[in-house]
Amino acid sequence: MIEVQHLTKRYGPVTAVDDISFRVEQGEILGFLGPNGAGKTTTMRILTGYMPATDGKAIVAGFDVFAKPIDAKARTGYLPETPPLYPDMTVREYLTFVAKLKMPKKTTAADRRARVEAIMKKTFVDDMAARHCGKLSKGYRQRVGLAQALIHDPEVLILDEPTAGLDPKQIIETRDLVRSLKGDHTVVLSTHILPEVAQTCERVVIINKGRVVAVDTPENLTRQLRGSSSLYVQVDVTGGDAHATLRSVPGVTKVDVADRHEGFVGYELHAEQQRDVRRDVARAIVDRGMGLLEMRPMRMSLEDIFLQLTTNEQSAPGEAPTPAGQAAEGGSHA
Amino acid sequence: MRNALAIAGKELRGYFASPIGWVICGLFSLIFGWFFYTYLEYFVRNSMQSDMGQGGPMNINLSLIRPLFSNATVIILFVLPSITMRTYSEEKRSGTIELLLTSPVTDWEIIIGKFLGAMGLYCSMLAATMVYMAILFAYGQPEWKPLVAGYLGLVLMGGCFISMGLFISSLTKNQIIAGIATFIAGLMFWVINWLGDNASPTTAAILSYLSITEHFDDFAKGVVDTKHLIFYLSFIAFGLFLTSKSVDTERWKG
Ligand SMILES: Nc1ncnc2c1ncn2[C@@H]1O[C@H](COP(=O)(O)OP(=O)(O)OP(=O)(O)O)[C@@H](O)[C@H]1O
Ligand SMILES: [Mg+2]
Repeated sequence: MIEVQHLTKRYGPVTAVDDISFRVEQGEILGFLGPNGAGKTTTMRILTGYMPATDGKAIVAGFDVFAKPIDAKARTGYLPETPPLYPDMTVREYLTFVAKLKMPKKTTAADRRARVEAIMKKTFVDDMAARHCGKLSKGYRQRVGLAQALIHDPEVLILDEPTAGLDPKQIIETRDLVRSLKGDHTVVLSTHILPEVAQTCERVVIINKGRVVAVDTPENLTRQLRGSSSLYVQVDVTGGDAHATLRSVPGVTKVDVADRHEGFVGYELHAEQQRDVRRDVARAIVDRGMGLLEMRPMRMSLEDIFLQLTTNEQSAPGEAPTPAGQAAEGGSHA
Repeated sequence: MRNALAIAGKELRGYFASPIGWVICGLFSLIFGWFFYTYLEYFVRNSMQSDMGQGGPMNINLSLIRPLFSNATVIILFVLPSITMRTYSEEKRSGTIELLLTSPVTDWEIIIGKFLGAMGLYCSMLAATMVYMAILFAYGQPEWKPLVAGYLGLVLMGGCFISMGLFISSLTKNQIIAGIATFIAGLMFWVINWLGDNASPTTAAILSYLSITEHFDDFAKGVVDTKHLIFYLSFIAFGLFLTSKSVDTERWKG
């Protein structure tokens, strides 16, 4: 449904998007993830025909966005980073205007009116229909922006941070709305909120500095990057050498100090793949007369993966997940 | 064309949704009215004198309508930049340009739409002045043909300023800068023939040809000459063409 091939965009000397390629299948929801300045908005602007790429090709809904922009745009709904609202228009006037531009030309005025009313209901803005767009709160602007993107029932939806600025309840409503589009619509959404990706998207493209660093399902990314399983163990070290004890447990490959306190220390253990060392670890510590205060598996969250991929590109998957260690340390201090 | 009309309607509604449209229209009518009153008074005084046997009979077209139209061009020079300055600048600043450029609409439909929207406001301003003309018809017998020619001239001349203003607005995000630049550019085209006073005859001829006001004189006299029509229409077309180039360049820059 969307095919991006070797897309590159340079703003003068700045390369915002650098040779990006990916595909989105019909009916799929794809998450676009990356830190600030990664090139998400730029990629989306190219896909929607707002600006041409310096190099490469993009096909949206079967049409090349550079060669057949009108056909591609007619099948695409786009919510830009800042919802493009006219402050002097009421919500209803605004959506009617957008409907005139985007709905097929043969649509009758009555159908258009009905569609505007329906979409206002769907995006929960009907109570603001007569309010001027300039007087809406941030969250309502965002929702009117979403209504605008959906108005012509497009095959492809490109949403740039659709939940930015919404309250928790609205975030859930918007996520549900996006999820309900699955199947009929192909959706690409960008976000900084990682749980959102896990909850709404079937696949994630992580980009950093204009390059794709990972494309996979959220579950696979988590699994793949977890590599060797790691364990957090907090030990009362009075009267024993906890470090040596832990090292001697069969299956343990690496022991790091995660945090240190008066009399007890938190360790991070790495074990061989697929090997459960918990019983042996517990027994070893208790047998040496030390106290086992806490033991829990350390799982890499999507946050950790994201940080690892985008801040620490050199470290290959499976290596020490430094950010996770830091997170655990911060957690136990709190 | 449907798209262009939708955009024109949006523009027109935009002018009147904020005070700007009303203020501009009101101001224009007021200043025009003041000129009208001044010339009318002058005309009445003089025709009373000529009734008393001094000079020939006064012609209402010659001594009232013609100078009135010439003065109207001055008001237009001041007023039109404030109409066109928002057209592109404001859309660029607020990001709504992103909606237009990602809708299934061509650049030309947007440009024509914006041009028609500004023309719509301008023409309603002119229409408001017809009230004054109606007064003349009620109390005198002016010829209507020069009047029509004069209005046609005003519409075309305003079209030139609007097309130029549209282009300048497409160059910047700042509507104030766009307004001031449009005014200065308009002034240039206004006085350009004065530069020819000390120049060679050929240069003088070219400069006076480029002067937007020179071409208006015949319209004010009631003469519709194709030469002037062609000048105005090609000026408008060229302005719109530059706008399309500018929009395209901006798109590449991002
Ligand atoms: N119009 C522009 N002119 C010059 N450089 C630009 C322009 N727009 C974006 N950039 C640069 O391109 C890079 C990518 O920007 P982009 O807006 O695509 O990032 P993003 O992933 O959307 O970031 P964010 O999460 O902050 O929205 C940045 O380095 C940015 O400074
Ligand atoms: Mg962005």
